[in-house]
This record gives sequence, C-alpha cells and structure tokens, in this order.
Amino acid sequence: MIHGGTSHRARRGLADRSPRARLPIAATIALVLAITLPLTVANGQLRSGYDDAGPQTRAMQDDDTANPAFLWVRQGQTQWSTPTGTSQKSCASCHGEAESSMTGVAARYPTYDAAYRRPITLDERIEQCRVLRQGAAAEDSESDSRLSLSAYVGLQSRGMPIRIDVPPTARPHLDAGKAFFNLRQGQLNLSCAQCHDQLAGQRLGGSTIPQGHANGYPEYRLEWQGMGSLYRRLRNCLNGVRAEPLPPESAELGDLIYFLAWRGQGLRVETPAVRP
Amino acid sequence: MRRIDPRRTFPRRKSVLALLLVGLATLPARAATDRLDTPLTAQPAEPLAGRRVVLDRALSACLLCHTGPFPAPHLHGSIGPDLTDVGARLDPGQLRLRLVSSARLNPETVMPSYYATQGLNRVGNPWREQTILTAQQIEDVVAYLSGLRPR
Amino acid sequence: MVRVLINVPKTVRRDEPFEVRLLISHPMESGQRRDTLGLAIPREIIDRLDCTLDGEAVIHMSLFPAISANPYLSFSAVAQRSGTMTITFSGDRGLTQVESVPITVV
Repeated sequence: MIHGGTSHRARRGLADRSPRARLPIAATIALVLAITLPLTVANGQLRSGYDDAGPQTRAMQDDDTANPAFLWVRQGQTQWSTPTGTSQKSCASCHGEAESSMTGVAARYPTYDAAYRRPITLDERIEQCRVLRQGAAAEDSESDSRLSLSAYVGLQSRGMPIRIDVPPTARPHLDAGKAFFNLRQGQLNLSCAQCHDQLAGQRLGGSTIPQGHANGYPEYRLEWQGMGSLYRRLRNCLNGVRAEPLPPESAELGDLIYFLAWRGQGLRVETPAVRP
Repeated sequence: MRRIDPRRTFPRRKSVLALLLVGLATLPARAATDRLDTPLTAQPAEPLAGRRVVLDRALSACLLCHTGPFPAPHLHGSIGPDLTDVGARLDPGQLRLRLVSSARLNPETVMPSYYATQGLNRVGNPWREQTILTAQQIEDVVAYLSGLRPR
Repeated sequence: MVRVLINVPKTVRRDEPFEVRLLISHPMESGQRRDTLGLAIPREIIDRLDCTLDGEAVIHMSLFPAISANPYLSFSAVAQRSGTMTITFSGDRGLTQVESVPITVV
C-alpha cells in the first residue's frame, strides 16, 4: 500500500490513481467478482448450519462417540463390505477401501453426468450403483441402508471444502436450480431466497434462520430424533410454505441440489452433521 | 378565425385545469390503497376467536414472524413488526388490508396474503384454491388486533 | 436386536477410572405423543441397563421416558485386571439384549 507522498512511487497501485481512473477498474473487479463468486447471501459471509446451532448441538456433532449419526455410519461401514443383490458384490468389491477410494467424493457432488445429461446427486449415484450394478432392490431415500451408506461415504470427505465443477453443458441446470431457489411459491408465497438469503440470521419462531446450506447431509436432526437426507429436509421446507413437493430423483430436484451445493462452495463437508 | 399566437406555449390554462382535476380525482384512490374498509363478512367479528387464530401457529403462523402480547415470547419470530398496541397505530381498515394482502403495499413483502388465491406458484394439493384464513377469521383477527391498545 | 456402539479406551491403567460411552439405536417413544389421528403413540423405551465387569457390578441404570431417542449414556469404571465388560439392557416390547466388550489393563 502506498502511504502518501510523491517519492518512491515504483508501482502505480489502485490507491495512486485518480478517482476517475479508479472507477472503471473497480467496476471491472466488481463485475468479475459478481460473475465468479456464487455468494448470494446477504452479508457475503457463508455460515454453515453448525454456526447457527446451539452449543450443546455443536458438542454432539464434535464428538463421534456422542453423535447419534454414528449408529448409521457404523452400519454403513458394515454394509460397504457386505455382498448384496443379485450380483452378490459388495461396494468394496469394486471400490476397495472407502477410506481411500471415497475421499473427496462428497465434496464434489452433485456432478454433471453426461449419460443422464443432468447433474446427479451423491444419494442418486449410490442408489444407481446399488440397483444397476449390485442388483439390489430400490429403496426409499430415507431407508436405513441408504442413509447409512450415504453417511459412511460422506464421512470420508469430512472437513474438505465443497468444490462444484460447472461445465458449459451444466450451466442451464445451475440456472434452473437458481431460478427455483428464487421462485416465490406455495400458498405462503415465499421463495428459498427470501428466508435463507435475505432473512438468514433472523428468527422464525424460536429458531435462527440458517443460510440453508447442504454441507452436512445425511444428518441427524433433533426434531426428527433420527437421521434424514437432504431430500427429506427440502420436502419439509416445501411443505412449510405449502407448495407442491419435488418428486424424488427428479431433474428439478437435482438442479436445485446442484445450485445449493454451488452456493455453499467453500464450506466444509460436515457429514454426518447434527442439527436442531 | 382566431390566430394562434406562437408565443403561447403549452400548457394552456384549460389544460392545466384539466390536469389538476384529473389529479384530484385520483388522490382518494391513492390514499385508499393503504386500507380496505369493507368487512369481508356480514357476521359480527369476535375478538377472542381472532386471538385464538393468532395464537395458532399451524393455522395462521402469525407468531412465527411477529412478537407481541402473546404467550411464550421466546418462541416469537423477529421478522415482522411487534404487534403490541398495533390497534393504536393502525385502524381496522388498515389492518384488514395488511392481512388480506400486504403485497398491495409492498410487493417484496415476506408476509403471506391471507385472503388471496391469485398469482401463486406451485401451491400444494391440500391448499389449492383456498385462502390461508377464511373471511370470518380475517374479520375476527382484525377485531382482536384493533383492540390491542395501551390501557 | 438394536444397534449399539460401545466406546471404551483401547487400554486402561490398573485402578484408574476410565470412561465407557454407549450409543443405542432406539426410538425411546415416551408414550406422551399423539399421531395425526389423535391416538396416543404407545410407550416404547429401554427402562433398565446394567453393566458388569467380569461379573462384578459397575452400574445399574433405570431409564425413563424423558430420555430422547438414540440415547447416549456414559459412565466411568475401574478395572484391576483385563476382562470382559458386559452390558445388559431391557425394555418395552420384550426387548432384552446383551453386549460385551473387552477391557485391556496395561
């Protein structure tokens, strides 16, 4: 930084230029940032749901021996090595040790799938594998075994920052997800953005409104007294504003989850999280 | 034949008068957008029934956003204005409009329209073509809130 | 059979207290809740838990409906020699289960 004076000006930094010259440069920087930064939250700071939870809730998440989600993680660990379905293959048969092969996976999902020509969520990918490659029976998103596997796979990326790749073919899906996020809907006529961007940090009933990131799923919710997927949470939200639900494993749901992940880039994976 | 004097530029006195009259005629309409004076029902309103509606979170959700002289203040939201003494600040006509559709005052509002079914997207099956509150419930709530004044 | 996670230290010192932590997968339905039809959801809880170390009592617990689902229980124990810690619990709907975990004294 130049501290003033007219001598020793080796470089003309931003501070040296005249106010009129600074404007186009500042405007260009602002424009570049606006395009590249996914931040849509009000004060520009990403906050995980962890930051808005009470100290006792955070303490539960921080202790793997006290986090009830680990009842599902341990089951997932067992399932990983258990042959299943008509193939009688286990996850390990193809993927080896989850601790090595699954590292970083949850941090980069949803990802654009060229065969499906749309973004695909991690929960969908795991179910795809189970049904198409293992020959196992399809299950509801909230089934014990699906939550357990998701939690176990997600855990392998815990602590890693979310990074979502958006190739040009995926751009329309990201935009569709963003449009849904900003759509006022339901009998209560509210959009996700109104609560989770504009009103994040204020109180709805007795609870602080979080920014609504999806970095800890599947997660243990105290209100559920159990484990649940992101789909379950979104279904509750849409029900809350009295809107139509999104069908599970639908393209619109995938687009929304794609946008949510992109919006939360930089936050660390917390799977399996504990939330109020 | 009158010659048109090029030095006389628009607006002429008659045009000015016409404009003024039009402006005056629209004035009452502008003031009226802040209020809805006609009750939605002919039946008398019951303030106590209105209080029950306000306190019922699943029905009205008022307390999810508003604080006020209601039980369990730690469970009130911080999004809408405080409703304490609201009857002293807003009269029944003004209260009625805000309940029926606050969007008429502020299109960006997060307050739902409690008596509207138009212009909504993706409304879930159980709630389609229905208002959040019935006409009588709106009148009861207006009666209740009007009574919230300093003692 | 319900899922149980038991956490004890890999090794403990002779005569030094160590912590035992349990996570038990169980709805702990209090019996106070009502379903959407207004009917009471029946109580279903674990109401008793006993822990012994090589037959010697460590702790007896009575649990009540106020405890939330998937209970986390922790208590301390002391061992003089390596042995087997046995945890027995029972509850509504005829639930009875025994789990054990080795305790290694160094």
